Amino acid sequence: MSDRMSGMDPRETEMDALLRRSMAAPVPRVSPDFHQALARELRRRSQPLNPFGRILLTGYGVVAAVVSVVVMRGQGLGWVAITLTTLSPVAGLELIRRLRRGRWGMASE
Amino acid sequence: MDSDAQLVARAQGGDPDAFAELFHRHTDRVFRLALSILGQGLAAEAEEVAQEVFLKVHHALASFRGEAEVGSWIYRITFNQAVNLKARARYRNPHLDDALLSHVIIAEPGPHSLAEAAQRDQYLSECIRALPEVYQAALRLYYWLDAGVAEVAALLDVPENTAKSYLHRARQLLAGMLKVRGYSHV
Repeated sequence: MSDRMSGMDPRETEMDALLRRSMAAPVPRVSPDFHQALARELRRRSQPLNPFGRILLTGYGVVAAVVSVVVMRGQGLGWVAITLTTLSPVAGLELIRRLRRGRWGMASE
Repeated sequence: MDSDAQLVARAQGGDPDAFAELFHRHTDRVFRLALSILGQGLAAEAEEVAQEVFLKVHHALASFRGEAEVGSWIYRITFNQAVNLKARARYRNPHLDDALLSHVIIAEPGPHSLAEAAQRDQYLSECIRALPEVYQAALRLYYWLDAGVAEVAALLDVPENTAKSYLHRARQLLAGMLKVRGYSHV
């Protein structure tokens, strides 16, 4: 222990001794290949989607959009409202992405 | 040697070596903090937490604005990640390892007192697990991982006096819990 507590009452001193005795156990260390494993995982997560994944994701997006439009139209919403409802989340995401890029750019200057 | 803030700026500029240096610098402390929250016998899980923390840090680095110290930011992510993992998963109970058992045997010669000491230690670890997370982490860092008060304070992102008061309060609470159970002479 690098620094001892001062000003402890006898009961607390006893508790301190008990904790020292009871919690004494070998301290594990990070495994030697931790950094390599982390670098591998970082590379894996940084890789862009493969063509199959890209097609699957695009297909999902298109189907979801079409179903949403059909359902909203069925509920009697006008085309303006449908367009706004469908496109505003996409625009919001793009805005966040651009803001982040802007901040990245400023930080790197 | 670059400061953490300089390393972050370099990493934000796309320098992969800066991020590597940043995580080399903080790996040990992140792992120790995760261990202190998860408890004994969960080193593999603490390593998983450490990996997830650095992946999150890497992902969020672009949006880090330097409002907090880099270390504090990383340790806060670690604390939350480890507490979430602990809350989600059901862990097996920590067991007394051989070194601790032999220590108890040397300290307590009679069979009755040996059994009592082992029972008291078992109950003590149950009591520790019932404490608030910050108290548990402070105790494990200080008594198991041999951290000083300054390191406890840095990892829990509190002033040193607060770290001391966590330890003081935790000892008081534990003494009270043991007393209720009939262990008046701790």
